[in-house]
Amino acid sequence: MSEKIFEVDHLSLHYLTRFGEKVHAVTDVSFSMKQGEILGIAGESGCGKSTLVSGLMGMCIPPLYPTSGDVRVSGESLMNRSESDIRSNVLAQKISMIPQGAFNALNPVRKIKDIAADVIAAHQKQGSPSSAKEIYQRLCERFDLFGMDTQRVLNSYPIQLTAGERQRSVIGISTLLNPRMVIADEPTSALDVSTQKEVIKMIFDLLEKGIFSTMIFITHELPLLYHVADNIAIMYAGEFVEMGTAEQVVKDPRHPYTQALMGAMLSSESSQRSRKPVAIEGAPPSLNQTIVGCRFAERCTRACPDCKKNTQSIRMVGDRLVRCDYAK
Amino acid sequence: MLKQYPTILYVLQKGLWYFLTFIAAIVINFALPRLGDNNPVDIIMGKAAQGLSQEEAKQKKASLLASFGMAELSTRTYDTVGYECALNEKGEAYLKEAFVPAIKVTERKIKDSAGADSVVNDTVGIFEPKLDASGAVMKEAASDSAGKPILDSAGVPVMKNVMQPVMVKKIIHIEKGSVVYSTTPVLENGNPVLKEEPVLSSSVVQFFAYIKNIFHGDLGLSYSQYPKPVIEIIKESLPWTLAIQFPTLMLGWIVGNLLGAIAAYKRGIFDKVFFPLAMLLNGIPFFVFGMLLVAAFSISLGWLPAMGAYGFDQVPSFSWEFYKSVGLHYILPFFSIFPILLSGQATGMRSMSIYELGTDYMKYAKWMGLREGKIVSYIFRNAMLPQLTGLAQSLGAMVGGALITEMIFSYPGLGMAMLTAIQQNDYATIQGCTLMISICVLVANFSVDILIALCDPRVKAGIQVGGK
Ligand SMILES: Nc1ncnc2c1ncn2[C@@H]1O[C@H](COP(=O)(O)OP(=O)(O)OP(=O)(O)O)[C@@H](O)[C@H]1O
Ligand SMILES: [Mg+2]
Repeated sequence: MSEKIFEVDHLSLHYLTRFGEKVHAVTDVSFSMKQGEILGIAGESGCGKSTLVSGLMGMCIPPLYPTSGDVRVSGESLMNRSESDIRSNVLAQKISMIPQGAFNALNPVRKIKDIAADVIAAHQKQGSPSSAKEIYQRLCERFDLFGMDTQRVLNSYPIQLTAGERQRSVIGISTLLNPRMVIADEPTSALDVSTQKEVIKMIFDLLEKGIFSTMIFITHELPLLYHVADNIAIMYAGEFVEMGTAEQVVKDPRHPYTQALMGAMLSSESSQRSRKPVAIEGAPPSLNQTIVGCRFAERCTRACPDCKKNTQSIRMVGDRLVRCDYAK
Repeated sequence: MLKQYPTILYVLQKGLWYFLTFIAAIVINFALPRLGDNNPVDIIMGKAAQGLSQEEAKQKKASLLASFGMAELSTRTYDTVGYECALNEKGEAYLKEAFVPAIKVTERKIKDSAGADSVVNDTVGIFEPKLDASGAVMKEAASDSAGKPILDSAGVPVMKNVMQPVMVKKIIHIEKGSVVYSTTPVLENGNPVLKEEPVLSSSVVQFFAYIKNIFHGDLGLSYSQYPKPVIEIIKESLPWTLAIQFPTLMLGWIVGNLLGAIAAYKRGIFDKVFFPLAMLLNGIPFFVFGMLLVAAFSISLGWLPAMGAYGFDQVPSFSWEFYKSVGLHYILPFFSIFPILLSGQATGMRSMSIYELGTDYMKYAKWMGLREGKIVSYIFRNAMLPQLTGLAQSLGAMVGGALITEMIFSYPGLGMAMLTAIQQNDYATIQGCTLMISICVLVANFSVDILIALCDPRVKAGIQVGGK
């Protein structure tokens, strides 16, 4: 068994609101990843996916703060390290991220080449700075891989690019330094179908070329994850509720939420054509108080009185993890 | 052909709009004192006629009307012509060779009608023209010229040389026509009287006269400091206003923005002390703060002068003493504006920066491991763009807004000049000052517009996309 390059132990994160209230956006997330693995994380909007990403990078930007738990990259913990240490030793080199919403991720007053050059310059070893020309050369080489109009894209401001070009530029910038691991936060949402395909193809091209090998792919589209991910984790109200191989989670979901989620999806498989998607009734609980009992109990069709009293912990069911005492 | 240069096109377009605005400002400036049945001269005369005899008042009104370009002038012009010597390269009056023909005078004695004794006796001789002292041919010599020129064998008149300096005609001065009066019979106390009224020109003519005057820098004569031209008053006061306002504004803007950005980024104790202080200062009106400064540093402590731009015993000159005096007089007005301006900018910049800090691209920059300095520069640059608009506004308001500061410190700037003019119904000066203010507002806004276009690629790219 190969070495675990990324481990997350009982990670919890909270936002501190202006009135001193804590919003527990991520609670008790644990998982680990091997070199070359692709983990998919799915969950509905607001379940804490993007928040989890900040935690995984080891860089919580206020008002987000870590509550407890640990994140380790190749055995090295990211918690309780100084910001500048994380910045110069981890970010963009060991772990990089592709943020949600590429348009907003690009500084509107800088050209793509300048944004990219800033990233390279930020991680240059002291004493051997490259000239602007060398950096530009390097950018051209990298962007040529993406099958884009390199010169035009690099010399454009973000507003001058199409959504697809912006997304691909962001991916290009995020992977410039050949990071060991990439966390992609909904890289395809808000794109049209054909652009989505291009972007997915680009990400997998990069994987194939070995620019990076390990990836966490976040989306709210389960069918997509089924095609791209080795393992899938389902998130609900800040918790992982089910985690297993793609096959297990999509084809044979055990947690009632996963099952409901599969029901809510439009399936492309012909056998399920006739099935109408069913929306899940109700809304997830608000996270600014401590929640007793199962978080999904309010919306669960199979909930029993106990569910609202007993806080569920994640446990092995067969060879997958499920956070439901009644799952078999 | 300008299509290839969208930036130039943009500047030209902007410039055109500002020019139109300028014209609009002129129109307003022109129309305001003429609203209803008013005209600027009548308003001035209301005060100027005091203590003048009827004839003097009439003359004063006529001269005012003429200087405002408001009355019909008689078209006759009286020009005085003078003569002066032309000079050659050596600076000597040079002489023209005038050739005066030699004249043959024939005298003939004719027989009288009786035909008794008179015999014809022809005398033929060469008549020498008589010259006067300056060497010019005297008239009488030519006047009794029954004579004819003597011709030589070729039939060309025989000439005599006369050396005479060349004279150049020069128009010394053209007197403008006087104001035209119309006379109308009216009944006064039941008696028919002839009333003389100056004929006013049409408003279109008045308007063009006004514009022509403006573009010649002729803003009329001040009435309160008659006969000083308004442009002189502006030339004397505007530099003081600019000297006190411009550096204060720029410094306040730059320092305020820096402090605001730092407060937003660092937070912590600096922000906790700085922000409430800035809010407090921001809430104090200029004049209250100015008066507090005067009370503290000038009246109680007596450290700094609070009146005028330089000491009463000083005469403007390029001396060290004078500069020192100006410097000392500069401190209080400067500090009456600077902290308030600074805190206004800083609070604005602070909230802009906090907003910038929360944007996705700042988070992305952080997540990509950019250094702190780089991120602060990102924040500063992006948050500064909206602040530029604020700069345009305060630069524009600078000239007019200086009034209160100048009043408190009796600073001899444009605001004071305008205030004095308003108190004395000095319309020409008021108009001149407001025009100056509009020009400053427009120039400031135009420059900042261009600056924004150069700094903000969202605008710049917009120009490029739109220009294609
Ligand atoms: N600055 C904040 N202060 C307080 N609560 C926040 C803040 N930002 C996010 N949250 C809360 O944290 C929770 C998780 O938000 P997050 O953005 O991680 O969701 P997400 O799963 O990424 O959603 P989406 O699919 O829409 O991107 C949400 O309930 C949100 O309301
Ligand atoms: Mg998200």
